[in-house]
Amino acid sequence: MGLRHSAGMGEDMESRKLSCTQAVQQFFVYLDNALKGDDVADLEAHLEACLDCCERLEFSRKLDALVRTRLAGASLPEGIEQRIRRTLAG
Amino acid sequence: MRSTAPQVEMDAESRERFEEQALPHLESLYRLALRLTGAAATAEDLVQETYLRALRRFSTLRDPGRMKPWLCQILSRLAIDRHRSARREVPLPAPEELDRFSLYDLIWEEDPLPYSDRLHDDFLAQFPDEEVRAALLALPEAYRVPLVLLYTEELSYRELAEILGCPVGTVMSRLHRGRKILERELWDYAIRQGWVRTWKAES
Repeated sequence: MGLRHSAGMGEDMESRKLSCTQAVQQFFVYLDNALKGDDVADLEAHLEACLDCCERLEFSRKLDALVRTRLAGASLPEGIEQRIRRTLAG
Repeated sequence: MRSTAPQVEMDAESRERFEEQALPHLESLYRLALRLTGAAATAEDLVQETYLRALRRFSTLRDPGRMKPWLCQILSRLAIDRHRSARREVPLPAPEELDRFSLYDLIWEEDPLPYSDRLHDDFLAQFPDEEVRAALLALPEAYRVPLVLLYTEELSYRELAEILGCPVGTVMSRLHRGRKILERELWDYAIRQGWVRTWKAES
C-alpha cells in the first residue's frame, strides 16, 4: 500500500492457478491462519506475482489489526471479582 | 446481580474448585462481554450470569482444560439469547451485494484524502476507537459474536464452531460476511463525517 495506481484487478491471471477474484476471496481465511497446504502455496504464488492483490491483502491485514487493537484492553470494574464470588456463594 | 437467580445447591469444596478454575478467566470473559454488549453494567451482568450458569453445570464439564472455551460458549449463547433486541442493528444487504462490496476499491474510487500518498493507511487512521467499536456493535448477533470471539480470543475456526454450536463452514461464512458488513459500516461513517464528498456518496 502507499503507491497510487489504478484501482481494479486488471492483470491477466490466466497463467496462474488462482484468479485475482479467487485470491481475494481467500484473504480472510489466510489472515486467520486457517488456509491449509496447497491453498496457502497457491495463494502465496499468486501474491508473489500480483502487486494489486498484495496491496489488497495488506489493507485487509491493517483493517483487522485496527479492529483487534480497538477491542483489546478493557479494564475490570473495581470489585467485580468479589461481587461474583458473593453471587456464587448464594 | 440484577436478575433473580435460583440458589445453586453445591458443596463448599466443589464451589471452591469451580472458583479456582473459572475465576482466572474473568478478565477475558469481561472483555468479551463488554465488546459484545458495549456497556460496562450490561457486561458485568452477563459475566455474572455466565459464572452462575457455569457453576450450576460444573459437573458436566469433563475436561478442566476446556474451562475457558466452555465459559466463552455459555457467555456467547447468553449474549445471543438475552441481548438480541437491545441494540440498533444494521439492515443487511443481499449477499451478492455484500460480496461485491469492497472498502479498498471505494477508497480508491472516491479518494477521500486527495493529498495523501498513503491513502488507505490514512483513511483507516482517521477512525476514532469508539467508532470502530460502535461499527462492530451494530452488526447483527450472528456476525458480531464470531467476529468478537475471533478478535478478542484469537480462537481457531474449529474452536469457534464448537463455541457457537455450528459447522466450521458456517463460521467461515459468518466471519466473511461480518467483515464485509463492518467495512460497509466504516464507509457509511466516513460518508456521515463528510470525508467522502462526491455525488456517489449520496447514492
